[in-house]
Amino acid sequence: MSQFSRLVRIARTDFSYFFRTKWLMAVLISLSLSDMLVVGLVYTRLIPASKAIGSSYFQFLVPGIVVVGLFSAATDTGRRIWLALREGVVQYYLTLPIRTRGLVGAYIISGGLGGVVYSGALLIIAYLSFMLFGAPIPVQGALYALTLIPFLFVLSTGIAGLAAFFASVSRRGEIYWVYAQALQVSMVTISTVFYPAQTIAQYLPAPVATIAQYNPLSLAAGVLRNSAFGGNALETGALANLLATSLPLAAIGALAYWIILRTIRLKGKP
Amino acid sequence: MNRVLTLAAYNVRMLLSLRTWFILAWALFGLQIAIYGSLMSKLVSTAVPNYLFYYAIGLMVITVFDSGAEVGRHFVEHAHEGELPYFLSLPVSRGGFLAAQAIYGVVNTMIKVLPPLIGVLWFVGDLTVQGAVFAMISMFLLGLGITGIMVSMSFIAFKSVDLYSAFLAGLSALIVRFSTVFYPLIFMPSFYSPISVFSPLTYGADLTRWVLGFDPSFLLNPILAAAVVTGVAVGTLSLSAKIVDKVIEGVKAA
Repeated sequence: MSQFSRLVRIARTDFSYFFRTKWLMAVLISLSLSDMLVVGLVYTRLIPASKAIGSSYFQFLVPGIVVVGLFSAATDTGRRIWLALREGVVQYYLTLPIRTRGLVGAYIISGGLGGVVYSGALLIIAYLSFMLFGAPIPVQGALYALTLIPFLFVLSTGIAGLAAFFASVSRRGEIYWVYAQALQVSMVTISTVFYPAQTIAQYLPAPVATIAQYNPLSLAAGVLRNSAFGGNALETGALANLLATSLPLAAIGALAYWIILRTIRLKGKP
Repeated sequence: MNRVLTLAAYNVRMLLSLRTWFILAWALFGLQIAIYGSLMSKLVSTAVPNYLFYYAIGLMVITVFDSGAEVGRHFVEHAHEGELPYFLSLPVSRGGFLAAQAIYGVVNTMIKVLPPLIGVLWFVGDLTVQGAVFAMISMFLLGLGITGIMVSMSFIAFKSVDLYSAFLAGLSALIVRFSTVFYPLIFMPSFYSPISVFSPLTYGADLTRWVLGFDPSFLLNPILAAAVVTGVAVGTLSLSAKIVDKVIEGVKAA
């Protein structure tokens, strides 16, 4: 069996473990659906349509919720790495006939797949909810959504890498959860998932607006709103920015996890 | 009584060792108010005046909810990590054991909520001793009710921790989204508002806002809210006392 096929097998096992974790699925599905169908609908009654928001806040928010779903699913990679490090399962991994970088790659790919499959399911639910509430969906939007899948996969691996980085540097107790919570709240809050970039630029300091603008979650939400739900042609600049912000995150996470695994291999402990 | 306090003091000492958690919780609270709260308040300003204050109280109520849920989880973890049989072997009654858990929950809630409450009231220029005290009483009663619900549900965990976690996670998301934590009841679509009246957070959040002087036209009747919050606290704590007394035996370690 080649190194690549072993990597694929480990990635597949980890990927299926994610979808078989019942409590996690309950958290993700109940949060995503209630954010779309409850929070989205109620805020639509509170927030008037505008040039920045579009014809309704529901149509503005739903693509953002798809991206938040992708983020939550991809960050679960960090939890699985942290558990493996904490419970010593990683020692077992290191006895497998696969190189350290293959193991790292398997985890990052599995995180990417988890994010893209989960957000793909949310995307279908989002389209159905648009139909249910009479919001228009351009035919070409679905085609753009399919084209976006590889880009969303790269974003998902980037987020998985970030989670892997925090899992790798969490040396004591439950500190990983501190990092994970801080990462989620800061990345989702300082983004254009819930509010337009113009509103951020108008009311918050320029550095915050810039961070929000280049946050990969904002870039992905923007592309989904514009193309997958808006029917406008994909913008190469936005896609390039999405890749440029996601790939370094994946690389940093992979490097941190690789260093930890190599240290364990050499010294027997992190 | 001394034994109950000793047990509670042990739990509280364990709690106080988690300083990083508290600092993070306060910092994230501040971040959410400063960015999400301030921006959403600009977007909804025509419908709900002073939404920043409305949202800040909602966020505190979520903190109370999370804190109550944490007590339930703490209880279940004790059960499944094999510590429960040890605690039950101590010369403390089952009621005393539950009281120690409740004290732990109250301290946890106070530490997490009091500094943000004072900070928000100071920021909006509405900091008064009686306002802070009555808001804390309201959230304290809500916290007791949530703790009671979570401990009562722990019998599910005695069958399966996975099922308990899944059930609580789903319940938490729905109980928050369908309540008035983020938006007033009058803005909810008619097909959601009947569900909202079953969420204890609806009453806890509106009662806290009322004691802090928020426009009552956006809130539920405060007498009804106070009655429900008190009823939920008393009812669920009594139920959890029965569960701790009768169902707790036979818990298997994980």
